[in-house]
Amino acid sequence: MARILIVDDEKNQRLLYREDFEEQGYEVRTAENGLEALRLVDEFLPHLVVLDISMPGMDGMEALSGILARYPDLPVVLHTAYSSYRDNFMSWSAHAYVVKSSDREELFSTVRRLLDEQAAKKNQAGTKPAEVGE
Amino acid sequence: MLQGPSDTLTLILAGGKGERLYPLTKTRTKPAVPFGGVYRIIDFPLSNCLHSGCERIFVLVQHLSAPLIRHLWRGWNVFHRPGRGNLEVIPPQHKLADLWYRGTADAIFHNLDLLQGLRPRNVMILSGDHVYRMNYRRFLAAHEESGAHVTLAGVKVPLEEGNRFGLLENDPTGWITAFREKPEDPAPLPGDPDHCMASMGIYIFQTETLVKSLTKDARNPSSSHDFGKDILPALLDEGARLLAYDFSGNEEVPYWRDIGTVDAYYRASMDLLKDPSPLNLWDPEWPFLCHPDSSLPPRIGEGTECRSDILSPGVRLEKCAVTGSVLGPGVFVGPGARVEDSILLQDVRVGPGAVLRRCIVDAGVRIPQGAAIGLDPEKDKRLFTLSPSGLTLVPTGLPSEEGFSETLI
Repeated sequence: MARILIVDDEKNQRLLYREDFEEQGYEVRTAENGLEALRLVDEFLPHLVVLDISMPGMDGMEALSGILARYPDLPVVLHTAYSSYRDNFMSWSAHAYVVKSSDREELFSTVRRLLDEQAAKKNQAGTKPAEVGE
Repeated sequence: MLQGPSDTLTLILAGGKGERLYPLTKTRTKPAVPFGGVYRIIDFPLSNCLHSGCERIFVLVQHLSAPLIRHLWRGWNVFHRPGRGNLEVIPPQHKLADLWYRGTADAIFHNLDLLQGLRPRNVMILSGDHVYRMNYRRFLAAHEESGAHVTLAGVKVPLEEGNRFGLLENDPTGWITAFREKPEDPAPLPGDPDHCMASMGIYIFQTETLVKSLTKDARNPSSSHDFGKDILPALLDEGARLLAYDFSGNEEVPYWRDIGTVDAYYRASMDLLKDPSPLNLWDPEWPFLCHPDSSLPPRIGEGTECRSDILSPGVRLEKCAVTGSVLGPGVFVGPGARVEDSILLQDVRVGPGAVLRRCIVDAGVRIPQGAAIGLDPEKDKRLFTLSPSGLTLVPTGLPSEEGFSETLI
């Protein structure tokens, strides 16, 4: 079962997304800020992170840097109410950028796509052991 | 309308440890290594920037950067013109993580916020450890006219030396078709069977292309985060337009040297003594700026033999023989001493009767009276490093006791 870490400072949002993703068969943990997210990334070892940007304490952009330094190929979906963060070059480091919407299909399909891509990459690496570690 | 250098941000990579230049890099980063008597290596790209109108510069430093920062602070305030230009030194800030830069591309990825603030149209990436003369205006114009995502400067090298370089292969119009890193069978240039094109490690990127490729590379755990090995081959694979700019065909003085090793450093230094020198330091149209550590006049005393040398301010030669050598600021050579085919960095003192041949002597070293260095490799090997070509490298930090002096005689 794929593990997803949801990072959002709003409790209701965390509950909502947790329910959504659990219904789709994912194992879900949540964090309310960047610092907690970094801790959980080490502990929970998620397959994907859905990361809000504007949060009190360590924000999503800073957390993204921390994730990149430790797990560069861990897919991160920036999930924010604002489209203006796209102007921040650091946001380009995320695997995807989804603007929050009442229609959550874009988020779901992005998550599915990235997890599929990740699984395909792993399979490829598995069938070609010579390339592992290159 | 063409955009000029004012819309281009220049990043100079100046963090190299320079292990193959040891012991010259024992106390300073490679771009801060003195060269040609009065210069530091970084003075060459910086002078090119100044003459090309590229006046927005960030110098990214890392290892042993204090001597470089001091040099830039003392010698390079010429760029500080409010509203026009600026030179800023950017040390590693560990903003992203507690990591040193893992490669040339990583150094820039860690500093994306510099690009964020200025939003330049292009980013020119230079290396702080090349000795050359280059008009970046022409390089930029070629980039703009072609519409390339990235333009790479390439220098023609003889085909048989191609295996020492990262090579660019391009079609007859200059578009790059392949990169090959130190290939055993270099491909010749179209229409020039005797030469191939080596990448100079000098690039102009459209800013968006640069940011996209750096952020993508940062997500790749198997990348070494290097422009030559990772970023540019990946861009080519993705179908980006990469143009080769023929440095050799566009410059009146197509002289370029990567000062990667002690032997390369020595050969480039000796190039300055040739007649005519392949790199003219005395061209009033393109002077290389420097900040010598002395402003005293050089003095050649009576009875001194001095031939084919570069002498810096403050040099004093007293009844000695100095030939085929480059002497840095404040060097003193005492009576009866002989210095041949050597490089003496600033404030070296050569005692009376000492003999130096094919040596590189680091700053401040006192060569004791009667010492002989560079004459007997077996003896030199016990005390110093010898380069692959047999140069004797005399580092800073030698003991000054009498007993040690005797071992040199």
